[in-house]
Amino acid sequence: MKKTTILLGVGIVLGALVLTSAAFTVDQTQQAIVIQLGRPVGDKSLGPGLHFKLPLVQNVVFFDARILDFDAKPEEITTTDKKYMNVDSYTKWRITDPLTFYTKVRTIQGARARLDDIVRSQLRVALGRYTLIEVVSHKRQEIMDAVTLRSKELLQPYGIEVLDVRIKRTDLPAENARSIYGRMKAERERQAKQYRSEGLEASAKIKATADKDRAVILADAEKQAEIIRGEGDGQATKVYADALSRSPEFYEFTRSLDAYKRGFEKNSRFIMTPESPFLKHLK
Amino acid sequence: MNWDWEKLQKQQQGRPGGKPPSFDDFQQQFDKLKKFKLPGWKLVLPIIVLLWIASGFYIVEPDEVGVVKQFGQYNRITTAGPNYHIPYPVESVLTPKVTQIRRVEFGFRSVGRPLTQAFQQGASREVKEESLMLTGDENIVSVQFIVQYMIKDAKNYLFNVNDPEQTLAHAGEAAMREVIGNGRIDDALTTGKQEIQVQTRDLMQRILDSYNTGLSVVAVQMQNVHPPDEVIEAFKDVASAREDKSRFINEAEAYQRDVLPKARGEAAHIINIARAYKETKVRKAEGDAARFLSVLTEYNKAKDITRERLYLETMEEILSNPDAEKLIMSRDALRQSVPYLPLDKLPRQPEPKPAQ
Repeated sequence: MKKTTILLGVGIVLGALVLTSAAFTVDQTQQAIVIQLGRPVGDKSLGPGLHFKLPLVQNVVFFDARILDFDAKPEEITTTDKKYMNVDSYTKWRITDPLTFYTKVRTIQGARARLDDIVRSQLRVALGRYTLIEVVSHKRQEIMDAVTLRSKELLQPYGIEVLDVRIKRTDLPAENARSIYGRMKAERERQAKQYRSEGLEASAKIKATADKDRAVILADAEKQAEIIRGEGDGQATKVYADALSRSPEFYEFTRSLDAYKRGFEKNSRFIMTPESPFLKHLK
Repeated sequence: MNWDWEKLQKQQQGRPGGKPPSFDDFQQQFDKLKKFKLPGWKLVLPIIVLLWIASGFYIVEPDEVGVVKQFGQYNRITTAGPNYHIPYPVESVLTPKVTQIRRVEFGFRSVGRPLTQAFQQGASREVKEESLMLTGDENIVSVQFIVQYMIKDAKNYLFNVNDPEQTLAHAGEAAMREVIGNGRIDDALTTGKQEIQVQTRDLMQRILDSYNTGLSVVAVQMQNVHPPDEVIEAFKDVASAREDKSRFINEAEAYQRDVLPKARGEAAHIINIARAYKETKVRKAEGDAARFLSVLTEYNKAKDITRERLYLETMEEILSNPDAEKLIMSRDALRQSVPYLPLDKLPRQPEPKPAQ
């Protein structure tokens, strides 16, 4: 009775020890390979779930199964139109073949070094074929696709799949930026000038038209006024003529008298002979 | 069982003595422990088992989903409410919040602002190396924007990409720069914002889907877009030049609106003066004519005497003027006198009245 319980106890403990050193789980985010004496066992990596290995002689190496990020350092690149630009890119990659990966690259750090080499040189080559503005705008996608494709080919032998090489930033070195600022300034100044002179032009036109209209209005009024005055003079003349033609000689006589009155009002000197009809009673 | 195992060890060891005192102490302690535990262990074990079983209960909140892994492998998705999983080490559960909208800032960092509060100028700090971008017409523009996103697929979000948030940040930056790089600076600064936001969102979503991140871009919102500080004055001047232009035109139109009515008023004035002249002239003529006709009527009744009377009255009026010099000479004297014109007294010219 004692013996059996003892043995059972020993069995359980040993079993537990063996189980914990033989069983292992691989997380959904991981993949694993089993190493025996420094070499991978089998020809397939292990996916997520519960797995077993031989205790003590085999051990497990885990790798991330997720998409990993490699953020390259910004790098100065010369475009085909001899302009410099700082290109900052990132690469999305994944360990697709852990066995190959383990034998050729071994660690994530090793992979990063490879990625850095290959992506960098591919970018340099691709970007060197385009002008700055092509890189910035309409050829961007094309360049990224080409670099992704080439990097994918070159990194496949390492058990690495490159999913995407993407240009994050394209910045200009300070002095190029300065020259762009200079050009932007000049363009805007030109625009401002144009707006102002357009404004002045329009304003001058409106004012000139207003002045012309004013002159025309006044000239029209003067014309009307002369016509009206003429009408007045004409009517008056007719009235005079109608009345005076009744006795021209009397009009002549009275009008002459009025004229004498008015004409001899100032500074007149009369030299009269006694024969003057006015003096006939002086004799 | 264990204690038997210990006993056995003790018996097997069966050392006669010469043990270090520490071992003795240990031994005594151990015995005590044994005596203490012995009555209880049958009770404790089921409790431990029960607790272990109970540890499999978990609650999934309404804004979460449960993702259950069995031995590390994805097994199932559970929905809101109380759930059960086989306890550790068989199954484990993750509960990411899937309805929560998160936001990430590009080109600026908010300073002490809760996420719910709307964007405010001045409550943020520009990050120039993030915000300055090249446009397709080789200009530089500063773009500050936010991206709102949420988890659309918890499984992908948890297991596919090693850092989904970082991936989203990269994709956002790359997408916005690509879109801005394809457009003109004026689009970004003025009317094209809506279009840029939509394009960036779509491009970001395509990028994120190509990595199966399980993230969904809800919105891209441009917050503050302005020309770089080095050239902002020139841009402001363009705006003020545009203002100037319309001001010049408005001023000219004001002048026009001022001048023309005045001119029309002046014209009316001129015409009225002429009308007044006409009316005056005509009425004067009519008056004069009436007067003449009245006198003529009387004159015709007694021609000679009226003539004489009018003549005398006129002469009287003329000659009674104190200013007029009068001189009466005989015809002979007049003939003998030398006509002399004193030039120094030119204003007082003699006007010999023609004798009738």
